[in-house]
Amino acid sequence: MFVQIKDLAFHYKNSRNPLFENLSLNFNQGEVSVILGESGSGKSTLLRLIAGLEVPSRGSILIDQAVMNDTFRFVQPEKRGVGLVFQDYALFPHMTVEKNIKFGLTKMNRKQKQARMEELLAIVGMEDYASRYPYELSGGQQQRVALARAMAPNPSLIMFDEPFSNLDSKLQLQIRDELQEILKRTGITSIFVTHDEEDARAIGDRIILMNNGKIQDEGRPEMVLKRNKEQLSLAYV
Amino acid sequence: MYFIRKMRSQFNSWALLSVIFSTLILLPALLIMVQLFAESNENWEHIKEFMLKNYIVNSVTLVGFTGLFTVLIGVSAAWLVSAYKVPMHRFFKWGLILPLAIPPYIGAYTYHGILNYTGVIQTSLRNQFGIKVDQKFFDIMNIPGAVFIFTMFLYPYVYIITKSFLENQSSSLIENARLLGKGSFMTFIQVVLPVSRAAIVGGVSLVILEVFNDYGVVKYFGIQTFSTAIFQAWFGMGDIYSAIKLAGTLMFIVVLILILEKVIRGRKQYSYSTSKVRPLQPKELKGWKKFAVLSFFISLFALAFGIPFIQLIHWVYMTYDVILNTAFVDLIWNSVFVASIGSVLIIIVALIIANFSRLSKGWMGKLFSKITVLGYSIPGAVIAIGVLTLFLSLDEKVFTLYEWLGLEPTLVLSLSISMLIFAYVVRFLAVGFNSIESGFDKVGTVFTEASRTLGMSVTKTFFKVDIKMIKGAIAGGFILVFVDILKELPLTLILQPFNFYTLATKTFQYASDERIHEASVSSMVIICISALSIFFLHRVLEKEPK
Ligand SMILES: Nc1ncnc2c1ncn2[C@@H]1O[C@H](COP(=O)(O)OP(=O)(O)O)[C@@H](O)[C@H]1O
Ligand SMILES: [Mg+2]
Repeated sequence: MFVQIKDLAFHYKNSRNPLFENLSLNFNQGEVSVILGESGSGKSTLLRLIAGLEVPSRGSILIDQAVMNDTFRFVQPEKRGVGLVFQDYALFPHMTVEKNIKFGLTKMNRKQKQARMEELLAIVGMEDYASRYPYELSGGQQQRVALARAMAPNPSLIMFDEPFSNLDSKLQLQIRDELQEILKRTGITSIFVTHDEEDARAIGDRIILMNNGKIQDEGRPEMVLKRNKEQLSLAYV
Repeated sequence: MYFIRKMRSQFNSWALLSVIFSTLILLPALLIMVQLFAESNENWEHIKEFMLKNYIVNSVTLVGFTGLFTVLIGVSAAWLVSAYKVPMHRFFKWGLILPLAIPPYIGAYTYHGILNYTGVIQTSLRNQFGIKVDQKFFDIMNIPGAVFIFTMFLYPYVYIITKSFLENQSSSLIENARLLGKGSFMTFIQVVLPVSRAAIVGGVSLVILEVFNDYGVVKYFGIQTFSTAIFQAWFGMGDIYSAIKLAGTLMFIVVLILILEKVIRGRKQYSYSTSKVRPLQPKELKGWKKFAVLSFFISLFALAFGIPFIQLIHWVYMTYDVILNTAFVDLIWNSVFVASIGSVLIIIVALIIANFSRLSKGWMGKLFSKITVLGYSIPGAVIAIGVLTLFLSLDEKVFTLYEWLGLEPTLVLSLSISMLIFAYVVRFLAVGFNSIESGFDKVGTVFTEASRTLGMSVTKTFFKVDIKMIKGAIAGGFILVFVDILKELPLTLILQPFNFYTLATKTFQYASDERIHEASVSSMVIICISALSIFFLHRVLEKEPK
């Protein structure tokens, strides 16, 4: 198991009820896991906890056997080696595509950085856009750059927070297929958050169904979707 | 355990620096508060028994009437500018802010110069028309005169805040009222006034703080208030003790007013500026109404800016060849020097505290941001006395240290320029902080978080991402602070080192010596720099919402 979450508890300061109590969950190496759930069920928060952007009040998180946090320790996000693609991409507006992708490549020299940047632009098919600024790109292009930027430092785990929600539906399908292809090719462990059943079915090796901060079901996509058919159809009418 | 781990997750050095800076900022006010309850001396007993009531009555009268008139003028100007279109509309929109560029003490001596026996009005009446007038109609060196001066040069605070509220927030309400067939006047009374209550209170409380802060106008006009009393206790009698008591009492009154402001303003914030709101469309005016509104704008602009400005230009023309010499260059250099160092320090401290406060999300961060804003509410003379007490007691320590080391003992700190600059930081930190905080609010935390997941620490992220993204807010904050320091009078008068003058204090000195013509050149420099910054910021603010 690559990511192990045990008895995790979390509470947003300004909300009345705890969001997670005793959440336990594992993610396997090399798999694409999908967290599926309605909006507000806690999917983004879970990603933020794994990335170290929020501090849990209890429980532990291990990534690749290493403790990220438990009662005594807390590893800062920059030390976790986890890539996160944000819902609205969060590309640095004051940097070109090239600078954005090179941003996380702190341990390389200039030549290596250049090579890695070109490699990633090739993977996402954006070779001709290196000197553009984010606002000069379409939504789908920004999405690809965000993916390239997150993958550049070679994270052991990459996470996507509703990566298609800002794209129109035709583009969604195309990018989804591309993304799936890239993830399969690189074999990277990934966690993918969505509220869309179709996305989950198409891209996931495994689905975790989340509801109100609790794991309702998990397993192979067909099984999970079948077992929870009624509830899912109700939720998404 | 949880708490310790949590603390560690919150980037120690940022927290530590924030704690240190906030404590330093708080220290002068705390010192005054502590001393307020110390035993009293004879001098203070005398002041308390015979004079305190007079100070309170005068201060409150000034504050009350200035508040009333700035609301009347500021709100009606804001309403007329945002709801109606008259010729030169764009000019008046920002021109009515311009009086803010003239510090009230400069306005005060300028108006006195215009109206007194040798001034332009009386001499023209005498020489051209042979009319001799009763002096009492032209004497403004009294409380009503001071209220006039304060109103003219401070109403823009009410005007700006109310105007931006009306333009950006309330269009649907006002347009609905119009559709329902309400006349303009009824719309104003029944809709505009109630919905902009919070904005008006916000603006007028700034006015009130400025009036309490003032020393130049009341001193020049010979009105006894808290500020003049503090000066008299310290410079006249060398009695720091009574100065502290007076400062403490004044601080107490100011705190009461701030609490009152919170209560009146209620839970409504006046600046929930979502840029999505549709702005109010001004209506074209015709006939006598157009004429009436236009004359209101013209007379307001003339009284609060045009007339004093032209008079100053005339005086500059009369005196510039005497004034413009190397001493004047020194004066400008002094002012620019303290203002630059003060502004840079303020921006650095504000950046550190604002960044910590936004990333920690906890009560500590909130507390720090409250503390930084404190100084702006406290009158300059009070801060000066607090800082003075602090540095004098530090000097005692240094003094003994010097003796112990066998060196020549001297007062180092309390005579140095660092004391003055420290006081500027305490007083104006809020100005820089507000600008930077709103810059951070606009960009949010997502870029910071993206940077951290890409392997950058909080500090590296700060330099590579955060400050790059709020460049505009940093520049804006710097300009505002710079101009505020340039204009500052009471605090500088108390704390400036021997033989060190700034443009503001030299202006005031000339005016007090009845050499008002000579005061005009330095006044003009202050006004022009302030006006430029107002123009610049206004243009930036106008352009920003897309
Ligand atoms: N910064 C925050 N402060 C307080 N509550 C929050 C914050 N962010 C999210 N929440 C609340 O936590 C719950 C889960 O949110 P989130 O993790 O964003 O859900 P999802 O990504 O599944 O839509 C929601 O009820 C949301 O309102
Ligand atoms: Mg979400």
